[in-house]
Amino acid sequence: MKTTLFILLAATPALAVDFDHDIRPLLQQHCVECHGEKKQKGELRLDARVFAFKGGHDGPAIVAGDTAKSLLFQRIHSTDDDKRMPPKGEPLSPAQIALIQSWIQAGAVWPENAADKAAAVDKRLQHWAVQPVRSAKGATIDSLINAKLEEKNLTMSTAADRRTLIRRLSFDLVGLPPTPERVEQFVKDADPRAYEKLVDELLRSPHYGERWARHWLDIAHYADTHGFERDQLRPNAWRYRDYVIDSLNADKPYDQFIREQIAGDVIAPNDAHAVIATGFLAAGPWDFVGQVETKSDMLKRAARAGDLDDMVTQVITSTTGITINCARCHDHKLDPVTQEEYYRLWAVFAGVKRGDREVDTVEAKRIAGEKARLTRGQAVVHARIAKLSGEGLDLAAMVGGGVKGRGIDLRTGNLTSDKLGYHRDIQTNRLQRIEWPADVEDSERQVAWVFVPDGRNPVPVAAKVETKGLPATNGHTWDVIRNGPLNAQRSTKIGGVDYAEKEHSILGLHANSGVTFDLAKIRQSSGLGAMHFTAAVGFGADAGAAASRADFTVYVDAEMKFQKLKMRKDESTNVDVIIPATAKTLTLVATDGGDGIGSDLLFLGDARLMPEAEHSRLAAAEREQLQALRAQAAEMEAALKALHEPAKVYAVVSDARPPVVQVQRRGNPEDPQQAVQPGTFAWAGHAGMDLGTNDTPEGQRRRLLAEWITNPANPLTRRVIVNRLWHHHFGQGIVATPSDFGLGGGRPSHPELLDLLAEELLSSGWSLKRMHKLIVMSAAYQQQSAASNEMASSIDAQNRLLWRQNPRRLDAESVHDAVLSVAGTLNPAMGGPGYRDFNFTEAYAPIYDYITPEKPELLRRSIYRFVVRTTPHQFMSTLDCPDPANLTPARAQTTTALQALTLSNNEFMLQQARSLVTRIENETDSRTTAVRRAFELCFQREPRAEEQNAATRLVAGQGLFALCRMLLNANEFVYID
Amino acid sequence: MNAAFPCRRRKQAVSRRDFLWELGGGLGGVALSAMLSEAHATTNPLAAKRPPLPAKARAVIQIFCPGGLSHVDSWDYKPELARRSGKPFDPDGKLQFFASKPGNCQGSYWPFRQHGQCGRWISDLFPQLATCVDDMAFIHSMQSKSALHGPAMFMANTGFILPGFPSMGAWVTYGLGSESENLPAFVVLPDQRGLPPGGVINWGAGFLPAVHQGTTLQTDAAKPPIADLFPPNSFAQLRGDTEQVSRDFLQTLNRTHAAERAGNTELEARIAAYELAARLQLSAPEVTDLRGETAVTKGLYQLDHEDIGPFGRQCLLARRLVERGVRFVQIYCGAENTTAKKIRPNWDSHEDLVRDHGYWGQVLDTGASALLRDLKSRGMLDSTLVICTSEFGRQPAAQGKGRDHNPGAFTAWMAGGGIQGGTAYGSTDDLGSKAAENPAYCYDLHATALHLLGIDHEKLSFYNNGINRRLTDVHGHIIQSILA
Repeated sequence: MKTTLFILLAATPALAVDFDHDIRPLLQQHCVECHGEKKQKGELRLDARVFAFKGGHDGPAIVAGDTAKSLLFQRIHSTDDDKRMPPKGEPLSPAQIALIQSWIQAGAVWPENAADKAAAVDKRLQHWAVQPVRSAKGATIDSLINAKLEEKNLTMSTAADRRTLIRRLSFDLVGLPPTPERVEQFVKDADPRAYEKLVDELLRSPHYGERWARHWLDIAHYADTHGFERDQLRPNAWRYRDYVIDSLNADKPYDQFIREQIAGDVIAPNDAHAVIATGFLAAGPWDFVGQVETKSDMLKRAARAGDLDDMVTQVITSTTGITINCARCHDHKLDPVTQEEYYRLWAVFAGVKRGDREVDTVEAKRIAGEKARLTRGQAVVHARIAKLSGEGLDLAAMVGGGVKGRGIDLRTGNLTSDKLGYHRDIQTNRLQRIEWPADVEDSERQVAWVFVPDGRNPVPVAAKVETKGLPATNGHTWDVIRNGPLNAQRSTKIGGVDYAEKEHSILGLHANSGVTFDLAKIRQSSGLGAMHFTAAVGFGADAGAAASRADFTVYVDAEMKFQKLKMRKDESTNVDVIIPATAKTLTLVATDGGDGIGSDLLFLGDARLMPEAEHSRLAAAEREQLQALRAQAAEMEAALKALHEPAKVYAVVSDARPPVVQVQRRGNPEDPQQAVQPGTFAWAGHAGMDLGTNDTPEGQRRRLLAEWITNPANPLTRRVIVNRLWHHHFGQGIVATPSDFGLGGGRPSHPELLDLLAEELLSSGWSLKRMHKLIVMSAAYQQQSAASNEMASSIDAQNRLLWRQNPRRLDAESVHDAVLSVAGTLNPAMGGPGYRDFNFTEAYAPIYDYITPEKPELLRRSIYRFVVRTTPHQFMSTLDCPDPANLTPARAQTTTALQALTLSNNEFMLQQARSLVTRIENETDSRTTAVRRAFELCFQREPRAEEQNAATRLVAGQGLFALCRMLLNANEFVYID
Repeated sequence: MNAAFPCRRRKQAVSRRDFLWELGGGLGGVALSAMLSEAHATTNPLAAKRPPLPAKARAVIQIFCPGGLSHVDSWDYKPELARRSGKPFDPDGKLQFFASKPGNCQGSYWPFRQHGQCGRWISDLFPQLATCVDDMAFIHSMQSKSALHGPAMFMANTGFILPGFPSMGAWVTYGLGSESENLPAFVVLPDQRGLPPGGVINWGAGFLPAVHQGTTLQTDAAKPPIADLFPPNSFAQLRGDTEQVSRDFLQTLNRTHAAERAGNTELEARIAAYELAARLQLSAPEVTDLRGETAVTKGLYQLDHEDIGPFGRQCLLARRLVERGVRFVQIYCGAENTTAKKIRPNWDSHEDLVRDHGYWGQVLDTGASALLRDLKSRGMLDSTLVICTSEFGRQPAAQGKGRDHNPGAFTAWMAGGGIQGGTAYGSTDDLGSKAAENPAYCYDLHATALHLLGIDHEKLSFYNNGINRRLTDVHGHIIQSILA
């Protein structure tokens, strides 16, 4: 077959081939279905000249004059059924093949016609969202909406009444119902500017920031814990939440708001606000087990990949409405965003990790300096005290049985100089006796036992008495308790003193472990009575290498004499404990600070027992000097304690030398491809897509991205934010998909309106409050929502044309806040750490048990709720409060029986109904006025006659409580007209 | 057109009404309004929907064994591993371990025997389930994408190792709705010790409407079965007739309010929700009240046994729920690694496999076998798909007296509704270290389960952040060889 074909082809004389007559129809008929605009199998297109000559995945399709190199020809005349094109149906006829052969041999002339040129244009580049914002001169919100309505012969509905308007405006702008008094005042206000005055008043209210921060934090998927299996606390995250509230209240220009959240630490490193702003990048979930705990590098890479995807998605989707995450495993299926562009964005954030950082570096430096100065001073003073009062007894030497470098194996009690590793299988709370080797004399056997505490159960460290107050641990430990540095210990310094030097000693005590000294034995050999136990306690890991914490506790017999909890790796502490002459044991315990034992290399410098009374051999002058030194040490200790911790925020921790990012084939971190430089996607088209190179410092990359996003010429950023505002004022955006402005998203119902708003944003200096005012002052916003209009309903049931306002239901937070507000129990305190309406139990996977909030400090606005990821708040999530694992541009709204049960029976609701009763009883003096007051508070209106009658009957039969409870359940309470 | 099965390519972002609106001018007003009123007719998102394809099963009971059930000690017979017991493992040193390097090969702690007509091998860990083997189909080549409990749990339940995606139960109720007007469509029965790793997100609705999330049924007989079903004890006076009077007042108020806002179906739906809530107050306690069950049934589930009884109760409740039209029940056989006392609170047997698997094996063996027998004797097994799985398996190598995590291989089994009992799919290598023949993921299990429920897993989708999301992501093959 092959031979005959060859002969046939060879025998065919070179034909005079005309491309448009002979070849183009062939390609159109047999190839373009799979290699054209719709499908590009093998990344090849044969529908336009520019693509055809570019070739596909396997190489060039057409090489002029060379059929051997032209895959097009090779594949159409292949005898291999798996290779021959077209794959289905009949092969091309020999005559057709010959035509193509001749055409290629003759130079493959392909005159470019209009169809070629049109096909070569990527239509996606003409997508509305990436076109420059066009200003509509002279137009207003209402003129543009009316114009669209007129096209369908529709008109706007009439304006809502004032009661409806004030309720709508209050919930929209501040998230709380208006008081009956304010409603009354507004309804009666004769000033034609009454509505505008109200708008200004609400926009000035600090509650405005609280309300609108909720919307922004939904997009930031903010929470106060890490998420995943070990869902630990982020006690410093709240400063970012407050930043959002404060920025909105201050009407910070939106471009600055965005720049600070992406690169505030770089733009204004000395401005605490700007540093806190970067909490935005860290607000999403983070897997402690995958990032830190696991020993598998592969699992770590997978966790880090998830981390970077979260950051890139958050920044790009929230600000530009491009679903960038769709380009992680392959080029975006709908939008012209390539996989490489996605990974270029990774390169922007490759140096960003999440963690606690100081918000005011100057202040933090001052505190750290002061701390170092005092600690150094203390070391000097302690050394002088030691010199005067004698060396004392070295506890480290006791642990090693007098031999440096030797330690006690916690599993067996054997003394060993070996370096041991991670122990996760030691029985906890068991007192392990020491198996002393023969070289330690009986009188020197001064350690009683060692143990690994679990912190949940007491350890019987003294006869019939047990430890109390140890924090819970994971029951794991590392290496041994050693006379000298621990296995993998990096630092031997505390406060500038190197305890590895000759005149000093180190007692290595890794978490979780405890050691008990036998004081009777010690007294026997030393003759001491009452003693001081003194030591410096520090970390042997690299300071700042990880955010690990550890605790150190000292017991004399069963009494806790000293405890330092959650000590950071860059911290140290001094211990000075008095031991009475009657005490039997001294126990030192290192525990893991609740975050596992990673890097918890605790050690004690110069752990000594000193006589409490000074030696009589000291001269009076020396004794005086000693007293003065002790006083000095105490003063320094007090000064150290008085130093407050520098304020921190959970935000970005920069890595000065970020790793080079590689494209990951199919999004698989184990399949890295070509390296990429920092950059962004080209589609927006307003500015270059390079954001420095791999030599550009980490922070600078983010700064460049922030500038690219907030560039006034960026066609997406302004449209996206004004649409988000519109979405919250009308219940749906001009674009119905607020976080997807791509080809898969909705199209704008009013493109000119969107651009008008985007232009106004710029001309107002990016003022969001000006935009709010512009929107709520429009007639469109002030329309009735209940208007019935059959024609309009049939043409535009979804009200995309805005022939009326949309009725809306309160979200979970607004229900919660409105209940408190109406009941008169809302604690208006702003800012600060989130309220925790749960009991927290430290554990491998911490336990969060929700409680019914009763105390005023728990009855704050829900924006201040401490949000736990893995244990959602049942009351809130039943009311559709979303899971902060994902960005939530628009709340889902469901109507379920569980919601009905929650609102009628949850203890919080019932308690607040009772508070409402108390409030009404205090404010009224008869059943009639009580009923009226209840309606006014809950619905901002008086009851109608039949409602008054029914309610009065209910109150007569069941009490005022039943009425209050049911009003808080009513449709009218949870819906805004 | 069913809302749960939108056309896949065109305009994913827009709702059906949007779609019509965007076509706007091209459609006559009459046709448009007719189609819209049809859309309005089904405002209840949980209304039962006919499966788009022929269905074998109408309900699912999934037993989840969190912590990592050791396949090599239970379902996956590995004689070569027994022969190599005590010899070195992992010569190339490339395996990924969560906590430690592997010890030597360790054969099953329980001997294997052949059972049933099919002659499949099952270890002595499960003597009672072994008698049901002719009803069970095994997938021996299951794998996970994570060796960590949290992400692997999320993957087994939602198909993704990240939180925030809908669980299988949520997808199923989204696709099929509920057959019970008085009970939630998706019910979860957690271990009485507490929630599994990852917590309630395991049965979350993710980005699906919250109505599809799993409702936790309190399995402790002393507590009300559903949170907030009744006012708490501090408001004990709120009971009975007085509640009805209050509710009547509320509904009158709501109806007047709705009448002034004609056409707002959400208001009607909320009125209906309060009526359903009242029915739930009757139906939920009825489900959990086991007094009507015979002594034989109670004995089958060993309800009085201190250790086995609580799980038996979960299994029996599952049967009662399915009997009453609940679509999807998920039972957890184990909790999170938090409150370890004498035994591990789940299957995560790092330090003492005989102790922990011994305990949990007895629990699962009794409850699950009772469930299969009970369903069968009532003629319910044919229409109820029972699934038993874990988030990953355990290593064939020893870790002290236990075994470390193994995402490379584990076994899941299915029984009932459309499953061919006594069959198996896929296999692991000689040691049970990795899936070898026909490697499978949760995608395939999910695709198969949806298929049996009459759903094409490629068509059940929901638009979220730029993508039409599926339970099976871009994967999933129906495992034909275990279907009846």
